[in-house]
Amino acid sequence: MAEEKRPASKSAAVKKLAATKAAGAYQKKWFLEMRERVEREGCDFAILNADVPMEIFRAMDIPFVVNQWWSAICGAKRKTKRYFELMRENGYRPDLDSYCAMALAESFDPDDKKLDADGNPIGPWGGLPKISISITRATSDSLVKIYDLLARNHGGELYVMGNTIARKTPLNWYELTADRWEELYDSDRLDAAVEDLKELIRWLEMKTGKLFDINKLQEVMDLVNEQEGYYKKIRDLIASCHPVPVTVVDTINAVMQAQWQRGTRWAADHARGLYEEIRALADKGEAAVPNEKLRMMWLGRGMWQDFAFYQRFEEKYGAVFMWSMYLAMGADAYTRNHVEQDPLRALAARFVGMEDFLHMPPWNSSWFIQQAKQNDIDGVVYMIPDNDVIALEGSYFIIKNLEAAGIPVLSFQADPVNVGKWNAETMTGMVEEFIERRVIPNQKK
Amino acid sequence: MSIRACALESEAFLALKDVYDHRERAAGQWRSKGGKVVGKLGSDVPDELVIAAGMLPVQICAAPDRELAEAGKYLENAFDPVVRAQFERLVDGTYGDQLDALAISNSNDTIIRIFYYLREIHRVEPEKNVPPVAFIDWTFTRSRIWQERCEFVLNLFRQQVEQWAGRTVSDDEIRAAGRLMNENRAALRAMAALRRGEEVRVNGSEALTIIGAGLFMEKAEHTALVRQVTEDAKGWPVLTGPRVFYTGANQEDTELYQKLEELGLVVVGEDTDWGDRSYERDFDLTYPVLRGVVDRYFLRTPTVEKSRVAQSVEILSRQVESTGAEGVVFYTNAYAEVATFNMPDQRKMLDGRGVKHVTLSRMTYPIRNNEGLDEKLAAFAAGMRGGE
Repeated sequence: MAEEKRPASKSAAVKKLAATKAAGAYQKKWFLEMRERVEREGCDFAILNADVPMEIFRAMDIPFVVNQWWSAICGAKRKTKRYFELMRENGYRPDLDSYCAMALAESFDPDDKKLDADGNPIGPWGGLPKISISITRATSDSLVKIYDLLARNHGGELYVMGNTIARKTPLNWYELTADRWEELYDSDRLDAAVEDLKELIRWLEMKTGKLFDINKLQEVMDLVNEQEGYYKKIRDLIASCHPVPVTVVDTINAVMQAQWQRGTRWAADHARGLYEEIRALADKGEAAVPNEKLRMMWLGRGMWQDFAFYQRFEEKYGAVFMWSMYLAMGADAYTRNHVEQDPLRALAARFVGMEDFLHMPPWNSSWFIQQAKQNDIDGVVYMIPDNDVIALEGSYFIIKNLEAAGIPVLSFQADPVNVGKWNAETMTGMVEEFIERRVIPNQKK
Repeated sequence: MSIRACALESEAFLALKDVYDHRERAAGQWRSKGGKVVGKLGSDVPDELVIAAGMLPVQICAAPDRELAEAGKYLENAFDPVVRAQFERLVDGTYGDQLDALAISNSNDTIIRIFYYLREIHRVEPEKNVPPVAFIDWTFTRSRIWQERCEFVLNLFRQQVEQWAGRTVSDDEIRAAGRLMNENRAALRAMAALRRGEEVRVNGSEALTIIGAGLFMEKAEHTALVRQVTEDAKGWPVLTGPRVFYTGANQEDTELYQKLEELGLVVVGEDTDWGDRSYERDFDLTYPVLRGVVDRYFLRTPTVEKSRVAQSVEILSRQVESTGAEGVVFYTNAYAEVATFNMPDQRKMLDGRGVKHVTLSRMTYPIRNNEGLDEKLAAFAAGMRGGE
């Protein structure tokens, strides 16, 4: 059967960093403790879209999870097939924004909180606690619907933050984010985002009875800057190493899992530990792929269902996937210095453009080229989600600009969540052909 | 043909149908007299501001039989096929030759991306024959701060319109345009009254033609023709057959409605911007002008994409009630299927009221390319007739 011929799955991915393992272990422990607290205290629990400013919730000590992080957990727990069925059984399309709809599907599962015959929880890690606050930004109409239904199914409340479109689009946004963020945006966009934050805070204070303390927010923002500063050091270090000491298999999970904990002491310390570990490897001259010949860039969401995919080209071609957006976004998109002058405005300057950096031309394409050059990239593999309006991002311009810069690109359209549609054998063949026909000849020029 | 002989005997209807069938003609004539034409992509470009500046607003539309070479080059798969066909004409020079400028409103997620792509084409491929583009960044999140911001956004658009027109636009001119648009909406509402009630005299295809012509011609002329056709239609034969309400994607032509009508169904209303929604809510002439524009577009009934789920149920329930519909057609284009999140609750409401329904999703464009559509509609119609 075709299923059996597929190359090894997720479990075969070789992860060598202690920090990666530590992040994996921590997130489960954190989640279980958080859920236990929510159940014990009967307190509010929020689910947030990835671009909602979680720093507010951190500062107000409101327990929350980020929806897209939870989707990754659901995927890793092999729940997608069951959840697609649940969406269908309840009259919803399983193929729409599936990356964001996992928690909604879970909310239809009558067995979510039950145990199987072996006494193991059926829901991922025993399932999400009861959601009392469901928040998204209006960055997409379907997201608003998903969070609306999530709130309803859990008996919680929906809150929608606004979204504005950039008129000003300086191509060097990544040079402005940390210190010159006021120049990065139209001032009226920032003004509106600050007002939006104030409205959210008022609503949360009324809803939860908790006080928002601006000094606490500043502490959280300082911790975020500390954490993201290490990601910049890591990214710059990896970019400068030939061969690289680690690959995306090591960095994606280590960074992503800690990113959802940003604003905590643990996350900042974890980022420091990750940096020190990679620094030590680099100092020893250790190579992730000893015969490194080709440096590859991965564009698109992480291949959660098959992490080993990234390593299939190492032995045969010396091709190492060493760049993904996850670490680089941490390096370039999150830091906002001068927080003390106006913490809310600094926070607004972080979240208002977060989607735009990745999905809006020309910001995405200009950054990808800059990153490809900094990292001495030989080839780019670009996965374009095939069912997701949110991820429509001007792939034509991205590909055109990279190719014009002399960097070959393999692009393909796929569903990053649906395991059933993923064929590792076909994909491996496509990348091998790309390496042989485009990347290697281009490198010899 | 579901446009009946009685309609084709009306001079006013024939004039409207001529504009509807030849959508570029009125704009061409306007330009030949030295006037400027502004294309509208999205349903929330305020006619009031464009008209106040002495320019002609026309709706961007798809062409059913065109090769989509440019769209295939620039757009990913996950674009609504109708938007894809509209984009083709925006980039292949068709609209570059016909328009002086293009205004885009963020009426849905896909259209925002079209703005990004056109803006980028202007930047990196300036040789392309694409009209100058402006974006109206409505924030439809319903709260005070976003309503206020919309006034700021509309002021930016007013300045843009003034730049295109080469002159300032006064409040009085905007108010006059608001009055003109209100008269047009009132005329359309009077026509629409003949689609429902005790005696239905205008069918769905005829209504789409009457309403749609107004998207491509001067408003005062359209209003006069709508008034005349409404008078004529009062003598048209009464339509019988099960009444259906249409909800979902804009229908830019009458192909789907004709199929429904050939099956004996009577389309008595729709929630689209090429139909009933286009003339809902007036411009309040007593407000400061920009607040009046915001009020009209920000606070009218939300689209199926922008509404909350519970709100969509309430809206559909009201529409079914007011039109006397016995059936509902749900229709979404592939990759533009946000409305499907409403449907389980909406269908439950309809089932509770004994209203039949059919769901047509993942639809492509043009209508005729949808395999199995005729069979599905025939089964729905048979069920409707069986319920008579």
